[in-house]
Amino acid sequence: MVVLAASVVSKSGKVILSRQFVDMNRIRIEGLLAAFPKLVGTGKQHTYVETENVRYVYQPIEALYLLLVTTKQSNILEDLETLRLLSKLVPEYAYSLDEDGLAKTAFELLFAFDEVICLGHKENVTVAQVKQYCEMESHEEKLHKLVLQSKINETKDVMKRKASEIEKSKIDKGRGGDKGGFMSMGSGRIESSFSDMSISSSGSGFGSGSGFGITTDVDSFSTKPKGRQPSSATAPPKGLGMQLGKSQKTNQFLASLQAEGELIVEDVQPKAGQSRVAAAAPTDPITLTAEEKLNVTLKRDGGISNFDVQGTLSLQILNQEDGLIQVQIETGGNPGILFKTHPNMNKELFSNENILGLKDPNRPFPTGAGDAAGVGLLKWRMQSADESLVPLSINCWPSVSGNETYVSIEYEASSMFDLRNVVISVPLPALREAPSVRQIDGEWRYDSRNSILEWSILLIDNSNRSGSMEFVVPPADSSVFFPISVRFSATNTYSDLKSGVELSIFLISAIFLTFSTFNFNCKDVVLINARDSLRGEMLLQVVNVIPLRGGAPPKFAQKTSLITENYQVV
Amino acid sequence: MEKSCSLLVYFDKGTPAIANEIKEALEGNDVPAKVDAMKKAISLLLNGETLPQLFITIVRYVLPSEDHTVQKLLLLYLEIIEKTDAKGRVLPEMILICQNLRNNLQHPNEYIRGVTLRFLCRLNETEIIEPLIPSVLQNLEHRHPFIRRNAILAVMSIYKLPQGEQLLVDAPEMIEKVLSTEQDPSAKRNAFLMLFTCAQDRAVNYLLTNVDRVPEWGELLQMVVLELIRKVCRTNREEKGKYIKIIISLLNAPSTAVIYECASTLVSLSSAPTAIRAAANTYCQLLLSQSDNNVKLIVLDRLNELKASHRDIMVDMIMDVLRALSSPNLDIRRKTLDIVLELITPRNINEVVLMLKKEVVKTQSGELEKNGEYRQMLIQAIHSCAIKFPEVASTVVHLLMDFLGDANVASAIDVVVFVREIIETNPKLRVSIITRLLDTFYQIRAARVCSCALWIIGEYCLSLSEVESGIATIKQCLGELPFYSVSEEGEATDASKKPPQANSITVSSRRPAILADGTYATQSAASETAFSPPTIVQGTLASGNLRSLLLTGDFFLGAVVACTLTKLILRLEEVQPSKVEVNKATSQALLFMVSMLQLGQSSVLPHPIDNDSYDRIVLCIRLLCNTGDEIRKIWLQSCRQSFVKMLSEKQLRETEELKAKAQVSHAQPDDLIDFYHLKSRKGMSQLELEDEVQDDLKRATGEFVKDADDANKLNRILQLTGFSDPVYAEAYVTVHHYDIVLDVTVINRTKETLQNLCLELATMGDLKLVERPQNYTLAPESSKQIKANIKVSSTETGVIFGNIVYETSNVLERTVVVLNDIHIDIMDYISPAVCTDAAFRTMWAEFEWENKVAVNTVIQDEKEFLDHIIKSTNMKCLTAPSALDGECGFLAANLYAKSVFGEDALVNVSIEKQADGKLSGYIRIRSKTQGIALSLGDKITLKQKGGS
Repeated sequence: MVVLAASVVSKSGKVILSRQFVDMNRIRIEGLLAAFPKLVGTGKQHTYVETENVRYVYQPIEALYLLLVTTKQSNILEDLETLRLLSKLVPEYAYSLDEDGLAKTAFELLFAFDEVICLGHKENVTVAQVKQYCEMESHEEKLHKLVLQSKINETKDVMKRKASEIEKSKIDKGRGGDKGGFMSMGSGRIESSFSDMSISSSGSGFGSGSGFGITTDVDSFSTKPKGRQPSSATAPPKGLGMQLGKSQKTNQFLASLQAEGELIVEDVQPKAGQSRVAAAAPTDPITLTAEEKLNVTLKRDGGISNFDVQGTLSLQILNQEDGLIQVQIETGGNPGILFKTHPNMNKELFSNENILGLKDPNRPFPTGAGDAAGVGLLKWRMQSADESLVPLSINCWPSVSGNETYVSIEYEASSMFDLRNVVISVPLPALREAPSVRQIDGEWRYDSRNSILEWSILLIDNSNRSGSMEFVVPPADSSVFFPISVRFSATNTYSDLKSGVELSIFLISAIFLTFSTFNFNCKDVVLINARDSLRGEMLLQVVNVIPLRGGAPPKFAQKTSLITENYQVV
Repeated sequence: MEKSCSLLVYFDKGTPAIANEIKEALEGNDVPAKVDAMKKAISLLLNGETLPQLFITIVRYVLPSEDHTVQKLLLLYLEIIEKTDAKGRVLPEMILICQNLRNNLQHPNEYIRGVTLRFLCRLNETEIIEPLIPSVLQNLEHRHPFIRRNAILAVMSIYKLPQGEQLLVDAPEMIEKVLSTEQDPSAKRNAFLMLFTCAQDRAVNYLLTNVDRVPEWGELLQMVVLELIRKVCRTNREEKGKYIKIIISLLNAPSTAVIYECASTLVSLSSAPTAIRAAANTYCQLLLSQSDNNVKLIVLDRLNELKASHRDIMVDMIMDVLRALSSPNLDIRRKTLDIVLELITPRNINEVVLMLKKEVVKTQSGELEKNGEYRQMLIQAIHSCAIKFPEVASTVVHLLMDFLGDANVASAIDVVVFVREIIETNPKLRVSIITRLLDTFYQIRAARVCSCALWIIGEYCLSLSEVESGIATIKQCLGELPFYSVSEEGEATDASKKPPQANSITVSSRRPAILADGTYATQSAASETAFSPPTIVQGTLASGNLRSLLLTGDFFLGAVVACTLTKLILRLEEVQPSKVEVNKATSQALLFMVSMLQLGQSSVLPHPIDNDSYDRIVLCIRLLCNTGDEIRKIWLQSCRQSFVKMLSEKQLRETEELKAKAQVSHAQPDDLIDFYHLKSRKGMSQLELEDEVQDDLKRATGEFVKDADDANKLNRILQLTGFSDPVYAEAYVTVHHYDIVLDVTVINRTKETLQNLCLELATMGDLKLVERPQNYTLAPESSKQIKANIKVSSTETGVIFGNIVYETSNVLERTVVVLNDIHIDIMDYISPAVCTDAAFRTMWAEFEWENKVAVNTVIQDEKEFLDHIIKSTNMKCLTAPSALDGECGFLAANLYAKSVFGEDALVNVSIEKQADGKLSGYIRIRSKTQGIALSLGDKITLKQKGGS
């Protein structure tokens, strides 16, 4: 009844495999198996051998023996049945019926033997069942896995829902305070910065930073009128929300930037100055704002396919009595710049004397325009193919090596500007996880939803005119990484102007002339700016603000800014 | 108890697997590579490497694997690793695997659960098992039968552990509950098995409450039921009655395995004739219904056992057993005949012989390849029947004599030997046999049969007519004289151009043959080439068998013919009143003899007559020319007397053998007699209660080692180093069947601590070290017992060399003490054995290795020398003692022995006493393997000198 071992041995007595079903020491089983080939007679028509202690029931398989070692009292009928079953199983599992073939699949055979004989007792199984047992295909396991998977999916869904809820609630919160204020500037960007905050707190410091950077700019347009016209009925209620948001955000922003050094602090100063200006509102009745938008398309292998600057000069006048003024500007000799004046402007006066004044000199400029931009006086446009004008050039090198793509990006900023809040967005192929960034100057963030890697540099100035980043993603076509879009802004302040670090376009100075010097007395022009650095690119210079009625020249504030509207490397 | 070994896998040493590679693969994520690495690791472990560093890797990287194959291999790995330390405590790191095992026990995949449960069956460490028990028990109620099956077995093995009863207090109740609801036959069997081994009462209870349904149960369960019955009845004989009914009902089960088991259970339970008869009947049914030779043979074995214990009942079954002769397998037929021959009684002899005769006739018609052999077997069977019951001889002898001319020489010889014996023992049949023999003599084709038949004719032709027809028959068979004519001679010289090449081949290939008595004889090449006769014979083949045989050059037969003629003439002189007739016959006989001599000396035949035959023929001629009473008496009576003596000797030997056999089974006069019923059951140990099945298992697994007596053990102590060596070592050598155990005692004789002391052994011959040596530290003047196992795989003189290597604390280099060589004696593996003469001869012819040792001894007596050789080689002398009797100055004997590995060792001793009283000759050893021939030869060379 008891099978001691099931084995396969070669005719020379080499044990290919053997599975023992009762406790037996190694010497014993090896001895039994080694003795077996010598006991097998030739020319016998039966396939069992009995020795003093055990019985071998065997079956030749080509040059091997499949062998059961049993006790002598064992039930031969049952053992033969077992042997027959095993002999059917062997070819099922062996590559080939020779020593090598069986040795290779020894373990599979052992597993199969285990299914047939259990603690020495025969199991009532068929070949098909043994195969089924050995394959271990379990319906239940599959079910279990499915259930598990669906649970995971469910949880993921819940997570997503929660995330979007949080996001929404945050946006709602934001909207509740300052609806639309940001939207004019592009709510998408801001939204994304919110989602950053909700998803990954580590990236948020910077991500939000970039967002705030932009909002500061926006603020500076919009706070002005608010500051100047706190009582204005037309002032929209959102202004208030913005104020709150701003102060809060700025604080946060500052806190995060404080560590970055004084350059950043400089960034704060003008605001402080402005706010001072704003606080001394009556002394600063006139604001001139020059804004340029940059539309640049760079080719990925160098060169410019499009370079386009659009600028506006607008004027805000708070008090009616200050309205009667003229603005004298000075333009650079650059012929590529085309100026267009407002239809109400006296064209002749502008083209001859570069003085912006209304056609009807007795009419004052409109005042208190609710519009943040004030009254547009002048527009200009410049197109160029001169690479030296590009403020920031991007060089992107994807290279495939093995299973990965290494992407190196470097930027080079022209020395003309200090760029702020530079964000270089590189589109990536769809990835499961964030790309691994090997080296970076600055900070990075991966927006998995849009599959964009954002490389942010808070400030590019003389200390870091060039920088680079390298990251690794799974293999992808190099065209995937384009177009790279870039955002940045540059602001100029008085101090900036004075130090002469000034970009192409504006130099605005305001000169107050007394009413008596109304007749264009150039001697009296106070040149606030004595700039020389702008060479041919100098486009516009507000030289004078001339009160037509004489009197003390009004105080005026000036704001200049350069922002990117569409800056791409394709 | 040594560590048990649960699996062996062939390990190819040609492709060594580096532990680091394995480790790397295990750490990787590639599943096939992991599987491969696991396999390699297991192979390495099985091969004796320990790979301790692998365990943590496996725990870290393999345990969490989801792959099923990896998990199964992991279980194998866990099965074979050492789980305890030297003191038998479970290694602390093993706790790491518990969690994994528990997860597996709760795995959604039922097969993973199943194999894990099965693995638990092989686990002995309670510390590991304990935390798993709740999970195991949960699985008892799983809805998949595969899991339940294995869970029950796991519960059983856990319960059987030393502290198992505490671990699983209520296991039997639980399993009983399972059993009552279980539907899966395999799981049911396992549950019953569990109860059977762990709580026998419950099993009995269950069985008795379900008695009626037993026949409906599955085959597997029925088998266990039978096993249970056997066990229960052995302890409680009086309850036997309850169970016999179950067995009887199971005898009609559809499964043959169950039927077989029933029969053996019945036999072991009861000695009542009805039960035995039922069992025997069942066996006979199986014998007929099963077509598998193995089954038949084993059933015949069982019948044979029954025959020994219950002969009277088996006698009635004899015809049923005989039906097994219908199988074409010779082994089965032989076994059947063996059984039957011992069962014949006067009542059934006629029936049996009739059946045998029918079978003999059948062999004539069918042309199966083994018919000749089978016929020989039948003839031998009939022969022995006829000897036991001479009255049947008359009915068979004539039938058998038809086979004298059989092409199968062996069966023809058997027939003629049979006739020879019958004619002597059965005088009534003499006349009819002689007549018949003379009638059929011309059919005889084989020379050996011819010579035997001639002897019968010469001996038993008594009446005038018989003698005359005898002479006539011989004359007729010799044909017309002369044997060759001159013209034929002329032709023959042409023709003889051809034979030489054929002849040269036969001569070169001829080898000395060993005769039945062990003497060496040079068989004449002619008899070997008898069936490629020279051209001259072909024309005369039809004329007579004797003539054709003579013309092939068989002069031994010629001598026999001459002797027979002489005898017949001498007898004729006695019975023939007419002198003229006698003289005429005499002269004719003389003419024949002379012609034979002439033929022998002519150049017609490829080789001339041998001296022996020549001498005998010349002797016959002389005798016929010059008869005397003295010589007549020798020729006519002494021959017969010696034949009678030979027969009686043979019978005597047989009866002696029988007696010797009978003697063995008798108890010694001073043996203890156990009265079963008087024996107190309480004091009996489990071992005493255990039955032969258990013993059988224990014997098979090698657990059942008889304690050798200690005195004997002391004889085997070998001193390995000198007394002045820093380390003294001596060893007991215990030789088991397949292994040698060296018990080495190592004593540190210095005042220093010896570190890293290591016993390094190397072997020569077919020996293999099983384990790697370990390092020990030996305190000053302390001793240590080291055990080394050496595997032996064939009989061969082996030598074990060794060193003891150690370090002392102050010297860094290692010191080596070389040990004495240990020689393993081949004699430990050889035991005397018996085989038949024919088997001996076929083996002698087949075996490739011969070792010839020239006799060189101081012993003067042949017999004494033989005894000395037998004693020193531990072999059995196959040659009958009677054949060795007497002082004739030479002796030849065959010795035989078998090794424990089943190898045969054959030895032939042929010695002759020289004129100076010294013995000379050769001892030849033949065996299938070189090892035995060489080692036995060495042994004999060493020992043959004798004198001590």
